[in-house]
Order: sequence, then C-alpha cells, then structure tokens
Amino acid sequence: MKNISLKDIFLVFLKIGTFAFGGVYSMLTFFERELVEKRKWLTHDEYIDSVAIGQMTPGPPIVNTGICIGYNLKKLKGALVTTVGQVFTGTVLAILLAMLYIKTKGNVLIGSIMKGIGAAVVGLLLSIVYKMAKNTIRDYKTALFALTAFLALAVFKFNPIGLILAAGISGLIVFRKRSNDSP
Amino acid sequence: MLPILHKEFVEKYHWITNQEFLDAIAIGQITPGPLTVMNAVIGYKIYGVIGAVMAMISSYLPCIIIVTLVCRYYFIYKESVIVHSVFKGIKPAVIGLLAAVAIPLGSTSLVDLLTFGIAIISFTIIAFTKIDPTFVIIMAGVLGALFL
Repeated sequence: MKNISLKDIFLVFLKIGTFAFGGVYSMLTFFERELVEKRKWLTHDEYIDSVAIGQMTPGPPIVNTGICIGYNLKKLKGALVTTVGQVFTGTVLAILLAMLYIKTKGNVLIGSIMKGIGAAVVGLLLSIVYKMAKNTIRDYKTALFALTAFLALAVFKFNPIGLILAAGISGLIVFRKRSNDSP
Repeated sequence: MLPILHKEFVEKYHWITNQEFLDAIAIGQITPGPLTVMNAVIGYKIYGVIGAVMAMISSYLPCIIIVTLVCRYYFIYKESVIVHSVFKGIKPAVIGLLAAVAIPLGSTSLVDLLTFGIAIISFTIIAFTKIDPTFVIIMAGVLGALFL
C-alpha cells in the first residue's frame, strides 16, 4: 500500500468530481492527469487496469474506475473516500437545484454552457483514448483487439459487456502461450 | 439504468411523476460527475434530504462491494498467466470501446464549426500539453455561453 493520506485522496477526487462537467467521460481525463501524471500515485498500466475493471463491473463504469483506484491506493477506506469525493459536489448541487425548483431545462445560458462543454468532452475522451492506445497498443495483435472492439460497437452495436467477455476469452487463447515464454 | 429507474419509481411505486423523473435527468445532466447524481434528486422528491442521502448510499454500496472484490482478486492474481492474458485481451478492447463511444457523443455534440473547433482544441491541449483539464472545461463553458 502506498503512503498517501486519505485526506489527500479525498481532496483530489473532490476536485475531479467538482470539475467533471458534461458527463463522466471527462473524469477519465482528470484521473489520468491528476493521479498518473501529476501525483504518480499509480502507473499508466495500473490506470488502464482500473478502467478495464470499471467497464466490466455493474454500475456507472467511470465511478467504478475511481472506486478501483481508491481500493488500489488504500484498500476499502480508499474505495469509500474516492466514491464520496467523486459524487459529493454533484449531489449537493443536485439537491440544491431540486430544493429551489430551479428550472434548468429551458434555461438558455445553461444550455449554451453545456453545449460548449459537451463539445470539449468529445475532445477530452479522444485524447484519453489516444494516450491509452499509445501505452497499451504495442503490436498488431493488441491493435487488432482494439480495432475489432471498436467496429463491433460502432458498426455492429454489439453488447459492450459481451464484447469485453469475448475479448477476455480471446486474450486467454491468443496471449497465454506467449506469456508462458516470458515469465 | 434509466429504463429500470423509470419502471420502479414512476410505473410501479408511483413515488414520483413522469415530469419529476424528467427533471431529475435534466439536473443529473448539468451537474458535474456521473448521471447517477439524478438518484439524489429522486430520493429528495420522495423523502427530502435524508431520502437523497439514502438514495446515493444505496446506489453506490453495491458498486463499492463488487468493485473492491474484483479489484482485490485482480491485484492478487494479476501476475498469473490466466489473468494476465485475459486482461491483455480486455485492455485494448476497452480502448476500442471508448473510441466507439466518441461517435454517438460527437454526433450529438459536434454540430457546427465552433463545436468542432472546441473539440479539436480540447484534444490537442490534453494530448500534447500539461495544461489542467479544469481549464479546458471552463474555457469550453465560457465559449459556449458567449457564442452558442
């Protein structure tokens, strides 16, 4: 276990949860920048492990990625602290909006701001895909896995959970022998 | 998640109206973080602040239990040949899946020259510089308020 205080973990995840407007995909970018690049709390490979586990488990995938990172840093306490940190600001804001009956839907200004942020999130998502690909896709086999999954979801609309399962089984078949060669 | 929530809260128990459900989604979409925050709004409509807190706890408790269990065993058996090769297949696939998510996201968000510009600038900043993503989110919000 790494020597990082629970308070620091909470504060970083609070920051991520506070600025991750425009849906969860911006959170992926924040995780990578704050935890891997800036603070070096986890390696890029451990980060991608957490993203994969988040996608495989039921519930909101990106929140699950955060929970996994928290567990990796400080076991169960870390998992609890990251969950609260990630959703705290959003929850408080949501309760306030509901309390005050603020109509957000027809509001032109909020609509315009969200349109701008929505566009940025597409860029943020693609940048994290680019960075992860640079670290993980090293040969034609891994490239083929990524390309197949991309096409299966984008063109053929397969079920993502089924795709992950299929990728895991194919991984076992394709990479098992090679892993044996290099212990 | 949305169809299940609608079925339970609106159709089965009648705890909230359809309009309240739609309001909850709208709030969940503009608040930072996951859409699941809308569950706090549903909880609030039913039982005030306590209802909201209960809703959040019960939304995330199953996730915490399942994810920590999976993580625990993953990190124990990570080096084993089987887990290692399974994840060697899963990791690039997840990257492919995330890339595919960008397509529906892009087709709703990128509608004109300015939104395309914002997306390209955001990509460039995060992929090639050390500038904080917070700056990108704020910049995009300001540009949206001014020009969209």
